[in-house]
Amino acid sequence: MKLLSSYNRMLAIVACSGMVVIGILFYQTLSRYLNRQIDDYLYEELLEVRDFAHVRNIVPAPEGFTDVVVEYKRVARLRNAKYRFHDTVFYNPRKKRTESGRYLQTDVKLADIPYQVTIIASKVESEEQVKSIVLIILIPLGILFFLLWLVNRFLMKKMWAPFMRLVENIRQFSLGQEQAYTPVETRIEEFRVLNDALAEVEKKIRSDYREVKLFTENASHEMMTPLAVINSKLDTMLQSENLGIEGSILITDLYKATSRLTRLNQSLLLLVKIGSQPLTDLEMIDLEQLLTEKLNYFQELIQRRKLNVSLQTAPASIYGSYSLVEILLNNLISNAIRHNTEGGALRISLSGKQLQVYNTSHSGPLDSSKIFDRFYKDSTSEGTGLGLAILKEICEKLGYKISYFWRDHLHCFELEFSEESTPTHTGQS
Amino acid sequence: MKFLVIEDEESLRRSVIKYLTDEGNVCDWSSSFREADEKMMLYDYDCIILDLGLPDGEGLKLLQQLRKSNKTDGVLIVSARNALDQKLEGLRLGADDYLTKPFHLSELYARAQAIIRRKSFQGNDTVRFGEIEVDTVAKTVHVSGRELYLTRKEFDLLLYFIVNKNKVVPKSAAITHIWGDEADMADSFDFIYTHIKNLRKKLSDAGSRDYFHSVYGVGYKFTDG
Repeated sequence: MKLLSSYNRMLAIVACSGMVVIGILFYQTLSRYLNRQIDDYLYEELLEVRDFAHVRNIVPAPEGFTDVVVEYKRVARLRNAKYRFHDTVFYNPRKKRTESGRYLQTDVKLADIPYQVTIIASKVESEEQVKSIVLIILIPLGILFFLLWLVNRFLMKKMWAPFMRLVENIRQFSLGQEQAYTPVETRIEEFRVLNDALAEVEKKIRSDYREVKLFTENASHEMMTPLAVINSKLDTMLQSENLGIEGSILITDLYKATSRLTRLNQSLLLLVKIGSQPLTDLEMIDLEQLLTEKLNYFQELIQRRKLNVSLQTAPASIYGSYSLVEILLNNLISNAIRHNTEGGALRISLSGKQLQVYNTSHSGPLDSSKIFDRFYKDSTSEGTGLGLAILKEICEKLGYKISYFWRDHLHCFELEFSEESTPTHTGQS
Repeated sequence: MKFLVIEDEESLRRSVIKYLTDEGNVCDWSSSFREADEKMMLYDYDCIILDLGLPDGEGLKLLQQLRKSNKTDGVLIVSARNALDQKLEGLRLGADDYLTKPFHLSELYARAQAIIRRKSFQGNDTVRFGEIEVDTVAKTVHVSGRELYLTRKEFDLLLYFIVNKNKVVPKSAAITHIWGDEADMADSFDFIYTHIKNLRKKLSDAGSRDYFHSVYGVGYKFTDG
C-alpha cells in the first residue's frame, strides 16, 4: 500500500467515525432539549386542564386545545400524581394521520372524580427541526472533509513527485554506463537530503568501481613483467646444451602454464577494458566477410581436429566496434572448435541480424544461467573460464543479445544484433 | 649490430642482453631514464629496446627526445600495457615497433632485426643462410639461386628461424609469431609441426640441406651444425 493511500485511509476512518459520533451526540442533545420544551408545553396544557376543572368546573375540559389531544379516562382512585412523560405514536385527528408524539400522563381529580389524563403533543415539527439542524451542521462538515481529502491527494502527489523521480534515478542507475546521476530539484528539505545522499553514494560507488577496475588493470599489468621474466628465462634455459629430455618436458609444461597465465591476465584486462572504455572504432562491418576471414584464420585448428564445417551466410552488415566484434567472433569460433569432438561438426549460420554457431561436444547441455559467469568452466577445460564472460560483456556493451541453447545434441550460441546497431542510432554512443 | 636495452627489471634485462650478445651483437644497457637519455644522446645504436615503464620517467618521453634530436636509431618499444592507444601513440612518436610483455626472446630478436633491416640504407633486404636466400621486401625465397614458392605462413616461419639461427625456438614462440597473440592455441602447440614438416619438404625438394632440428619436442633449432 502506498504511504499516501494508507495515510488517506486512516484519515477517512477517523473523519467518518468522528462525524458519526458527533452526529449522534449532537442529535441526542438536541432531541433532549426539544423534548424538554415539549414537556414544558404539555405541563402548561395540564395546568390549563386543571384550570378548567377548578375554576370553571368544566369536566372534562372541552376540546379547545389547538395543538394537543387530551384524553380522559376515569379511574377508580388516584394512584399517584406523578407526571409521566413518554414518546408515543398517536392518531392526530386534525391532520388525520398517525404521528410520532410525546405525551404527559397523570392522575388528576377533576370535580372529585379521579381521572387519568393523557395529553399528547405532536413531535413531528421538532423532529424536523432536529433533522435540519443536524444536517445543516453535518453536510458542510462532510463536504469539508471531502475537500480536505482531495487537496491532500493532489498536494501529496505533487509533493511526492521528487521522491518518485529519485526512485526512477536509482532504478536507472547502471555502473556500466558512464551517464552521470541527474540530481532532482526540490524545495522539500527531506527529499533534498535524500537526493544529496544518493548523489554522494553514486559518486562513491563509481569511484570505488573505478578503483577496483584500476586495481585489476594495474595488478594484471604488474604481472606481465614477472611473466616476461619467466618467459625469457625459459627461452634462455632452452638454449642450454645439456637440457635433456626431462628438462625439455619440464620446460614445455612451464611454457604452457606461463602461456595460460598470460592469457588469463589478458582476458582480465580485456574484461576491464570493455566495461570502461568508450567505443571509438565504430564502423560498418561486413559480417560475412569477417566470418570467412576468421574461419580462414582458424583453419589449422579446424583441420587438426578434422572438423566438418558448414557455413551458411547471407550478406549482413552491422555498425559496431570493429575490434570488439572481432573478439566476439574469435571467441565464438575458437570455443566451438576447442570444445568440439574429434571429427565433429561446426555449423555457422548468419542471416540478417542473427548469427548462430553450433558445435558437437562430449558434454551434454550446459546450464545456461551459469555459463556466462566469470570462471565458469568444466574441470577438463584448458581455457581461462573468461571467454564467455567476455562475450557477454561485449554483447552488453554493444547492445546485442546472446543466448545459449541445446538442440539436436548440439551446443548453440545465438547472437542477435540489435536494431540499434544500425548507423542511424549509434552515432552518439 | 649495436643495441641499447633500456629496462629496469634486471633479470629480464640480463636475459635479453645474453640472447643478443650470443648472436654476436654489442649490447649496452641502462636501467633509468636519466642514464638512458645520456647514452641515447652520446652514441648511435642500430636498435634501442625501450621499456615504457621506467621508475624515473615516462619511456615515451625518451623516444620524443631522441626523435627531436634527429637521431634515426631504430626503436622497439616493450611494454606491459597492451592498450591500443598507447601503441599508436608510441608509433606516432617514431617508434618502429611495439612488443607487449610477456614475449619470447626470439620474437624480440626477430622484430629488432626487422627494424634494423628496414633502417639500413645499403639495401640490406636479403637474409642468407647457407644456400637459402630470403628477400624480406619482395617476400621471395631462393635456394641456390632458384626461386622457391612458399605460403605466407611458411615464409614468415622460415624467416623467423633464419633470424634466430643457432637458437632453440620454442614452439609457442613460433605459433605466436605466425598466428598472433590472440591465437589462444596454447593447448595445441603441436600443430606448428605440420607447417615445419611442409617447409622442410619444400626446402629439401628445392635441394637445400635440412637445417631444422627438433629439440625434444619443445622447439626447433635452425642450424647447420
